[in-house]
Amino acid sequence: MKADFCVVGSGAGGAVVAAELAESGASVVVLEQGPGHDADGFTARPPEMLARLYRDGGQTATLGSPPVLLPLGRGLGGTTLVNSGTCFRTPPYVLERWAREFGLEVDEPALAPFFERVERALSVSEVTPELAGANAAIARRGAERLGWSHGYLRRNARGCVGSGVCVFGCPTSAKQHTGITYIPRARAAGARILTGTDVRQVLVAGGRAHGVRARRADGSALEVRAPEVIVACGAIHTPLLLDASRLADGSGQRGRNLSLHPATAAFALMDEVVDMSRGVPQSFYVDEFAADGIMLEGVAGPPAYAAMSLPLTGARHARAMADYRHLAQFGLMVSDRSRGRVRSVAGRPLIRYDLVREDLERFRAGLARLEQLFAAAGAREVYLPLGTGVRPQQASARELRLAAFHPLGTARADARPSHGVTDGDLAMHGVAGVHVADGSVVPSALGVNPQLTIMALATRLAFGLLGRPAPDIPRRSCSQARGADEEAACLS
Amino acid sequence: MSAGLDSFVAAAPWPQRAGLRVLLALARRPRSRALLACVPLAEQAAHSTLALGRYDDPAVARRLGWDAAAVVARGRALRRAEGRP
Repeated sequence: MKADFCVVGSGAGGAVVAAELAESGASVVVLEQGPGHDADGFTARPPEMLARLYRDGGQTATLGSPPVLLPLGRGLGGTTLVNSGTCFRTPPYVLERWAREFGLEVDEPALAPFFERVERALSVSEVTPELAGANAAIARRGAERLGWSHGYLRRNARGCVGSGVCVFGCPTSAKQHTGITYIPRARAAGARILTGTDVRQVLVAGGRAHGVRARRADGSALEVRAPEVIVACGAIHTPLLLDASRLADGSGQRGRNLSLHPATAAFALMDEVVDMSRGVPQSFYVDEFAADGIMLEGVAGPPAYAAMSLPLTGARHARAMADYRHLAQFGLMVSDRSRGRVRSVAGRPLIRYDLVREDLERFRAGLARLEQLFAAAGAREVYLPLGTGVRPQQASARELRLAAFHPLGTARADARPSHGVTDGDLAMHGVAGVHVADGSVVPSALGVNPQLTIMALATRLAFGLLGRPAPDIPRRSCSQARGADEEAACLS
Repeated sequence: MSAGLDSFVAAAPWPQRAGLRVLLALARRPRSRALLACVPLAEQAAHSTLALGRYDDPAVARRLGWDAAAVVARGRALRRAEGRP
């Protein structure tokens, strides 16, 4: 099989690059390891959906103190299929840091057209209070009483009715994941999309890529010849593929610098009926402490999900679950300083990640804030993810129950070949014709959900590969410009 | 074990899968459950997994106000009516 571009992976990065390239007339092949998923097969039942839509049934975990659960999507759409749909642009202070520390030529005006393009493609808009549901209303009440900065989240959803199971497969196809947006666009433009295709090696000769070698689900071998290969397997698997391909790594940074945005959540027992699974689970945020690396965001789900997450056992668990309709939940995500490493052991990723003291302090502070938020909202009881009687200020790393949803940084972009795996244009240092388009290029924690950043960078990569200037921001959007910089970009 | 929970456990990577099966077996027997209580992390893992299965039961979930079949049916009807994928 031959193509101009071979894209490995169909998540936030791969699908976007593939569609942009194909729609410009390029010949594109997309190779996805997982299957395609049909919404008719979504059952809204957590155990079954975890097994079907997630890699390792959603049970991928890090080794370290504490272990962190790291659920990753598997199939067309990658993790966009199973994320909450939250859309944030890269915060300006993060872009400034990238320019200062990593020599990347990115700033708000330069990225605005790419963000705009992605947001239009995915129908990104703010959740309404009605759709957000009672779980968000409780957090809002608490934040208002405390005078904390807060707001409704922006999401990539269209025609959402608040089914409450974004992370278990949206039954209404309201969530605009890449499997139903960019992938169909790529296909319509002539791209060949192959699922069940496990890419084992990027082929390189004379310092230049010339394709990939893969294995199909039926065991047959496949070779795609392409002068440009875009690797977009996600921050856990991209470094493994680059390692398996024995590509040069002059920086020694491949697989390192893993940040995760580790997260946890608290429950509260309320007097009112909450029915947390009615409405958009992640619809509200409190960013009062964002400058301290602490972001509070909504989280919720059906009884099976709540029962699994509730930090209680025995009779206390049963009593709390009997009151499920009165349970509220809210999450806490840390913009981490801790850094982990991914390596391959017997073909599987071994992820080492230890929480540093500074991040432990963030969790202690964040859990105390969550408790405060629920108390201000009128909670009868708050269930923190800690052992019985342990106060947030006393929590040790081992006691924290953490999950993470945003692996980043393992093929980080840095203008200097000695410091980064990829350059500012997301081309691999030292190997021509290999680009990376996923969370692994993001050189630092963002402090916010990363899908929009990954998609904007992927769009920018596609435009770069095609030698095209940044897209125009449509006039309609100029009137909705967010801030002076974007307005200036519109007018210019 | 329900089919859903069985597929969930089976999907885990092998070292975890084996460990989880042992933990679940221990958690189901009263005597070994007491033993498990001495290791809070292990107890929590077993308890969480069993709870995931127990509250996934449609009858149990419906008593708590959640009807997965109705959510799916509404989704299917919406997709058909509006030509969504």
